Amino acid sequence: MTTFSETKIRIPVFSISRIWTIATGTMTQLVRMKTFYFLIVFAVLVTALGHIDIMSASAVSQLETIKKVAFGTMDIFAWLYAVVATALLIPRDLEDRTLYTILSKPVLRIEYLVGKLLGVLLLIAASLALMFLACLFMLHLKQSSFVSSELIAIQSGPYMTETQINEQIALIKQQGARPVLAIAALASFLKASVVAAMTILISTFASSSLFTIITSIFFFLIGHAHGMMADFWLNKSDGNFLVRMLTKIFKLLIPDFQLFSFSEGVVSGATIIPQVVWSMGFLTGGYLFVFLLISLMIFMYKEF
Amino acid sequence: MSTSAVEVKNLTKIFQTSSYSANVFKKGITSSYLVAVDNLSFTVKAGEVYGLIGPNGSGKSTSMKVVLGLMAPTKGSAKVFGLDTSDIRARNDIGFLPENPYFYRHLTGEETLRFYGKLCGLKGSALQDRISELLALVDLEGARKRRLAGYSKGMLQRIGIAQAIIQRPRLVILDEPTAGVDPVGSRQIRDLILNFKREGISVFLCSHLLEQVQEVCDRVGIIFQGQMHSEGTLDELISIGNRYSFVLENASPSLIKEIQKLVAKEKGATIAEQGHPKTTLEHLFLKIAGTKK
Repeated sequence: MTTFSETKIRIPVFSISRIWTIATGTMTQLVRMKTFYFLIVFAVLVTALGHIDIMSASAVSQLETIKKVAFGTMDIFAWLYAVVATALLIPRDLEDRTLYTILSKPVLRIEYLVGKLLGVLLLIAASLALMFLACLFMLHLKQSSFVSSELIAIQSGPYMTETQINEQIALIKQQGARPVLAIAALASFLKASVVAAMTILISTFASSSLFTIITSIFFFLIGHAHGMMADFWLNKSDGNFLVRMLTKIFKLLIPDFQLFSFSEGVVSGATIIPQVVWSMGFLTGGYLFVFLLISLMIFMYKEF
Repeated sequence: MSTSAVEVKNLTKIFQTSSYSANVFKKGITSSYLVAVDNLSFTVKAGEVYGLIGPNGSGKSTSMKVVLGLMAPTKGSAKVFGLDTSDIRARNDIGFLPENPYFYRHLTGEETLRFYGKLCGLKGSALQDRISELLALVDLEGARKRRLAGYSKGMLQRIGIAQAIIQRPRLVILDEPTAGVDPVGSRQIRDLILNFKREGISVFLCSHLLEQVQEVCDRVGIIFQGQMHSEGTLDELISIGNRYSFVLENASPSLIKEIQKLVAKEKGATIAEQGHPKTTLEHLFLKIAGTKK
């Protein structure tokens, strides 16, 4: 056996490599916890959607329904997974004393927190990418089938000009498989990232995974009624200074998750200007930074 | 002068606790303070095995957590090889095995060691070689591809020791290393501790299994209610100054009678104990387990 006195590795004060090790370890842990079973459920759902024919509905509205259900499911998966997976990480590490063994190695607490969050986010990104591809494939198949049926119907029906035929086909394609739909998946990812960061923050002071899950879902739901609640309080208090201040703090601390619903517009076929996507990206980055900073301030002084 | 492996000076740790009072005059939540460790000082010399013993709640684990940097002292200081325990470099010299560790149950033994090795900056073939070396050392080569969920308690302790020394630390801290482990596993862990000692690695262990502490420790500190009660080498602590013993083998009854007569002649001298020395249940168990293997 080689002895301890052999030349030792220099330990950097901050290390991306340690963050990556914790992130990949978290991913492996979550994958082996069989959380990916949800993807199988999703695949079955998308396949089933592809085989459902709503006779009374037009091709356009059928495609729209398939998209809404599929992307809605992806969105629910993303935020729910962000809450549950993140809530399981730190409290469980603490219960199992795994946290002791990690933090007694040359690992900074910020590296541990960022690594855990990164692991969850990478897994959500990979899952969303897989679900998006499955969805796109199914939409493409369905769209091709609708276009063929439409062409047969046009040939056997009353005369239509080429422009009219092209318009009809374009309408179907507008609701079919388009790369721009990736923006909807991205919106779900951005929302899930903020939810995961919020959950990490809660888990730094929570006593159990269950408490973290319940509290995070509670704040997530409040985050959807953000504007409505703030308006209600302000109107009811006739602009009282204290209420105004509290509303501002509330607005600052709890993210407005309605902002991420621009994905619904993308799914419906609306055009989204790139600035919206960029500004949502920056907003998400801002939330991640603030939540991680507060988490670190709590976690730094936490005693185990 | 060589630096001490651990140097704890005037360590005090006070916890704030909250409790609900239903008293009519003082109803509500009241704060109180618990002194877990009270002005504790001790040193673990480089290369020695130091045991901190004491009953549950005596402050052993709290002291250990301060040394590991998992807790900040209220007063006093804790240093590892001259560095404050909050310094990340100090932790590269520490290997730690907590009491009843679980680790990530979805990882295999090999993956667990790789995970901890990478955290310590090891990589490539150096890491792979170290993993193989440690798996052989803790006798888990056959279980390297098995997930920890399928490991027994003794195997978990041994993989725990392997992860603790993955970066070749100069100090190994063990919290109740043989808790819940059968005598065979317990013996293996004790052998590993003795091996560390031979390698020059300092060991700081907390335990309430006194016989084991006695077997492996060079020096022992006895902590009670957060304070150091007594400290010293085993000889200093457990020798009875006015007694002397020797064990005879194959002595005839006449020789024993002669000795008894000689003792009786000496004024004030008495035979305090005599009879056949007994083995321990543990030794008997190990002997049987060894022959059945």
